[in-house]
Amino acid sequence: MNNERLHYGDKIIYMEGVVVDVDDCSISVDLKGRLGFFKAPKRMFICDTEPKVGQEIGWNMSFPEQLGPEINDKYVSNIEKERRKQEEMRTRLDNKEV
Amino acid sequence: MSITAETAKAHAHDPAVLCCRAEAGITIEPANLEDPAIFDDLVDSGLLSLDGCLTIEEVLGAKLTKTCDSLCPLTADVLDGVKAPSAPAEEEEEAAPEAPAAPAPVAPAAPAAGGVLKIHIGEGKDIDLEIPVGALGAGGAAAVPVPAGAEVAAGAAAPAAEAGEEKVVRSLTRKHFNITEVKRGPETKIEGTTLYIREGIEQEVIDNQELVKDFHLEIITPDKYHTYSETIMDVQPIATKEGDADLGTGVTRVLDGVVMMLTGTDEGGVQIGEFGSSEGYLDENIMWNRPSCPDKGEIFIKGNIVIQEKTNMERRGPMAAHTAFDVITQEIREVMKELDESLVVDTEELKQVRRPGKKKVVIVKEIMGQGAMHDNFILPVEPVGILGARANVDLGNVPVCVSPLEVLDGCIHALTCIGPASKEMSRHYWREPLVLEALHDPEVDLCGVVFVGSPQINAEKFYVSKRVGHTVEMMDVDGAFVTTEGFGNNHIDFASHIEQIGMRGVPVVGMSYCAVQGALVVGNKYMTYMVDNNKSESGIENEVLGCNTLCEEDAIRALAMLKTAMAGEEVKAAEKKWNPNVKSTNVELIEAAYGKKVELVENEQSLPMSQKRKEKYD
Repeated sequence: MNNERLHYGDKIIYMEGVVVDVDDCSISVDLKGRLGFFKAPKRMFICDTEPKVGQEIGWNMSFPEQLGPEINDKYVSNIEKERRKQEEMRTRLDNKEV
Repeated sequence: MSITAETAKAHAHDPAVLCCRAEAGITIEPANLEDPAIFDDLVDSGLLSLDGCLTIEEVLGAKLTKTCDSLCPLTADVLDGVKAPSAPAEEEEEAAPEAPAAPAPVAPAAPAAGGVLKIHIGEGKDIDLEIPVGALGAGGAAAVPVPAGAEVAAGAAAPAAEAGEEKVVRSLTRKHFNITEVKRGPETKIEGTTLYIREGIEQEVIDNQELVKDFHLEIITPDKYHTYSETIMDVQPIATKEGDADLGTGVTRVLDGVVMMLTGTDEGGVQIGEFGSSEGYLDENIMWNRPSCPDKGEIFIKGNIVIQEKTNMERRGPMAAHTAFDVITQEIREVMKELDESLVVDTEELKQVRRPGKKKVVIVKEIMGQGAMHDNFILPVEPVGILGARANVDLGNVPVCVSPLEVLDGCIHALTCIGPASKEMSRHYWREPLVLEALHDPEVDLCGVVFVGSPQINAEKFYVSKRVGHTVEMMDVDGAFVTTEGFGNNHIDFASHIEQIGMRGVPVVGMSYCAVQGALVVGNKYMTYMVDNNKSESGIENEVLGCNTLCEEDAIRALAMLKTAMAGEEVKAAEKKWNPNVKSTNVELIEAAYGKKVELVENEQSLPMSQKRKEKYD
């Protein structure tokens, strides 16, 4: 199993964050203490009431660890293609708006 | 936390550990004991050692001779008046609640065709039941572990006469038309086995929805499988009804060898409802031949829709994309309606068969209902169409009962959620393996399929699952399946559905992708029969489309498990951590009992993959 590759996987920390955006698909969270930001599908959040901006949430996590120094070319190529496409579409959109 | 007398009874043979500090001289009661459910974690982390620990039934009523701290395992040296252990026989006895009440002399159990073998074990010792598996027909998969010590009080088989005749409620005919080539042309038409799609149809797709800003159509033939593609949103069959027939009845015409495939982004190039990293080369990202996926060799009519900027995460974005894309499918459907009968290559008749007297079962399929692409259009006019359908979210995610044939006729147009490996796309329902298996199994009477949405908020989740409980109660079924796609907060209602059905005394088999990443977040005492849909090598939600969805092999396992449960036999508890061997052992048991080979599908390891990726991933 992959988690055997983690050296510090058992260091579980309780974290808190603030909901900063809710859309139809996802919830965005600022981690308290300026520790970052994440956005995840709604399906991955457990909510007793309707999720709203400003609500606080908590979860356990550990430190994300590098699995190794290797670079996976497939992902690099996908990211690059994605970036180029977004750039092109952005330019086209901006030109249309002008 | 202390336990109740009821929990103590259920865990009579589990270790007895003090839940809090106890003074010398007290008599041990359930309230002094810790819940055995948490011991695995404590033992794993080294906080607890159960060596020499007595069981709960042994210690109850005994006197503590020494003051002990909390979480102290109770051993013989700190107790006075320990009871002798009994054989763990209770469970099996309780497991046969449907046994005939009046004891009869021991009679050879004769499971006549369609009969039910009922064995009641009241009390007694030294019996070994040996039943040739063949005699049970395609009966229970897991052998009954009969306790050492029991006496057969009664053994009787239900007479075959009770079982009624098979009744065909309705039937659905699928006429298959073969397509070997897809081309663009001046008009949409089918000539022989060539499908032409009108040039310029793109503009109509764009004009159909205000939010749709651009659209491109691509024909992907097998030689172009190694093409880069945006994330696949949906895979759909191309099918239409003949005449005015409703879904699930009459005649459906379907094109073989070709599927519709939808992809999309917003104007800024951001994928619709996307959370990264599932775009890539088609042949590396599709698990061929999964119920929801394209089959290898098929042609894809692939549309890439561009929707208004920033609507990719709004509900109206994906809805507009699906609605606009249906313009093309609808035009093909219109052409199909006119096709000459001589082009039919295969005719298949699906029958909805009821089998009175057999074990009545229902399939509850939990579908996503959290919003945006976590949504499904239910019951369109055309198979996997748009027109006439209601969005599951708008219906309030409440249970909707459909016939098995409606499912197989495309009553669900799935907007499909995020996880590529575990999402059930529209095509999945078109060839839903569990519905097909249950429908064709002569030993069960499939009464219908219930779709229930999974809302975002817990209060709503419990609202809908209570409706599921009552819906199933009214059906008077003997067993139920509850399935769900993917994992996440939908596992909360998944567990609740099982509880609602289970508490009504109906055995329930739960099916979901779980393995490592999708490990269940909650559980309850009714979740004893679970089937994991995982196929990936390391038990994770990988990036391969359809990899971890419900397949025929899972349906076979689930059916075998439900039959075992309905017969009152015990199904062993799974280990705490995911262990793929459980599946292979069960498959072997089923193969032995049924006398037929269960073909297991391949996983992502069968796809082309660079050596580097192989080392890194799985």
